[in-house]
Amino acid sequence: MRSTRGLLALSLCAGFGFASLGANSASAPADTPAEIQLDPLPTHWIAERPVGRGAGPVTRAMLEEPFAEDSRWLHYGGTYKNFRHSPLEQLSPANVSKLQVAWAFGTGTVGQFEVSPILYDGVLFITSSYNRLFALDAKTGAVLWRYDHQNDPNLPLCCGPANRGVAITGDLVLMATLDAHLIAFDRRTGEIAWDTEITDYTKGFTATSAPLVVDDLAYIGIAGGEYGVRGFIDAYETKTGKRVFRHYTVPAAGEPGVETWSGTSYETGGAPAWTTGTYDRELDTLFWTTGNPSPDWNGDDRLGDNLYSDSLLALDPKTGEQKWYFQFTPHDVWDYDGNSHIFLVDTTVDGTPRKLIAQANRNGFFYLIDRSDGSFVKGKPYLEQLNWATLDANGRPVVNPRAMPTDEPTERTCPSNLGGTNGAYTGSFDPALGLVFVSTIESCQAFAKGISVFVEGIPYLGGLPELVDAAAGKSYGNFVAIDASTGDVRWRARERYPMMAGALSTRGGVVFSGTLDGEAVAYESKTGKVLWRFRMGGGVRSQPIAYELDGRTYVVYGSGSFATLDDFAGGPQNIPEGGHLFVFVLPEG
Amino acid sequence: MPCALHLAVLLAGVAIVTGCVRGNGLPPSPAEVYQNSDPAAIRRGRLLFTGTCGGYCHSTKPGNREAPYLFDCSWTYGGSDREIFASIADGFPDTRMPAWGGKMPEGDADIWRVIAYLRSRRSCVNAD
Repeated sequence: MRSTRGLLALSLCAGFGFASLGANSASAPADTPAEIQLDPLPTHWIAERPVGRGAGPVTRAMLEEPFAEDSRWLHYGGTYKNFRHSPLEQLSPANVSKLQVAWAFGTGTVGQFEVSPILYDGVLFITSSYNRLFALDAKTGAVLWRYDHQNDPNLPLCCGPANRGVAITGDLVLMATLDAHLIAFDRRTGEIAWDTEITDYTKGFTATSAPLVVDDLAYIGIAGGEYGVRGFIDAYETKTGKRVFRHYTVPAAGEPGVETWSGTSYETGGAPAWTTGTYDRELDTLFWTTGNPSPDWNGDDRLGDNLYSDSLLALDPKTGEQKWYFQFTPHDVWDYDGNSHIFLVDTTVDGTPRKLIAQANRNGFFYLIDRSDGSFVKGKPYLEQLNWATLDANGRPVVNPRAMPTDEPTERTCPSNLGGTNGAYTGSFDPALGLVFVSTIESCQAFAKGISVFVEGIPYLGGLPELVDAAAGKSYGNFVAIDASTGDVRWRARERYPMMAGALSTRGGVVFSGTLDGEAVAYESKTGKVLWRFRMGGGVRSQPIAYELDGRTYVVYGSGSFATLDDFAGGPQNIPEGGHLFVFVLPEG
Repeated sequence: MPCALHLAVLLAGVAIVTGCVRGNGLPPSPAEVYQNSDPAAIRRGRLLFTGTCGGYCHSTKPGNREAPYLFDCSWTYGGSDREIFASIADGFPDTRMPAWGGKMPEGDADIWRVIAYLRSRRSCVNAD
């Protein structure tokens, strides 16, 4: 492995050096070095020989596979259906308690470690906070190549230095960066194939999600809803990095939907697309979701529904043209982003077979939406505490007026601004059981409305959530199983702290997630019975995956949280930050 | 003349006329005047803090935040009203604290109102 160096040289003792030279200037030769120069630290380690087991490029057929293969995990959501359901039967209630650590790996970074690993050809592709990208031997954990992206230390980030993983296609892996680049690497060596600037991050844009690849295009949505940006979803040629289209999530003057913004508030409307979408080949439709309108907690200057914030969008994958939308939270003043994990579920509802999108939304309701036309099918609360609204027959919220932000709020409103669940982590879906699994946050806040001040590149919030339950130590979490046909909660497994971890279910009947106080947890899929816990240390914010390699069965977790958001949620306050990857394995035999 | 300077001159004049000059020889800052006699200004300061500072950066309660908690009388860059004004107005280059000078809806007077609000609800462990 060879390394390349960053641009910044490190000079030590420069001041001392000059002072010494000054004292001896009469006798110092003119060419005496004035500084002690150290080599800059490496930032990029390239594999000198192609890594992996010679499987060849990732093909379109592989990316289309309906279920994740045992020895591959090629999408953020496992497959285009986004189920995050492993076909592995080896991981069962009978043996999951025997999992033991195969190897571990430190990322060297703080902040939330939210990765969903990609596995291909015996190589795990891992991203950490601050955009470190590692190619690791999936069996041993050995570093095969590594890239440390050099971000501005003062990035305008609302919510921490997260990255949720890469996409893979052909011989490329693609990572989006906090400073709004999309970079393609040769998966075999780590060399950069292309690097495209998505947009100007200094205006408050950032990219935290894993890209999605469909055919020859890579899609990435942008974050920045706390900065009054205009959200968008981009498509890029995977071969060249050239942009093919940009779909804005807030209309411009004269476009349909702009009438849902008072005045010129659409110009700073937000609606970021900060999570990963998915694709339906049969309908040839790209599905993406959007976040809050800006400013977050004061809607007085953006009266109206504020389309297309907090919405599910159906797009033409080649042009970006919008086919339809469904808005979960019109005129959001609580920060209930619409972009939690979506599942492409085919099931029977009230006796009728339906092609649906299922989503446990951040606003606390579980939704079933017809994915052919965006019509509302069903919506039910999945939280134990929800009082901001009910839903009418069309799925539109009927807002509790006492939940609206005020100058001096007193109403304990549920869920909190972090939501019942959150787009920063995934759920999973077991098609055999028909159950959606999600981590939930049971926490309520009082929403304060203040004066909104828009300045480009500075948070544009208009208010704040008072941390009622979090401050009182009353926040808690549940891991929840929801019937995808009825929206009914089948079981809840309570945890002491709010849960903010992704999910992985297996054909063997086990579902994995984790806790903010640092435990990996496995539950029985049918019942919610806890089968296994392992203390990793750092709070779990990652998306676990499983794979089989050389006859052994592995489960991968990232450990490491972000204290600021833990504070918001009401999580533990005394756990240090720091990313560590844990790879567990079932014993032989 | 910038409006903030107008205000400062005006308030200094008021202070001198009324004999309200502090022991250090300086007239009270606009924030101190607001705090002593203008509840509406303190309320506006609170709303500005709520809308701009307190969401994801400076918390209204002690906790794990990237930005300092501003109600405990512990000031990293000086705790006089004028030092706090400079911190807010000028920001800190190479940090995530922006320069708010000239960016508030009612100019720098709004910064003084924010300071008045911070003073009004402080809870000091050690007197500042």
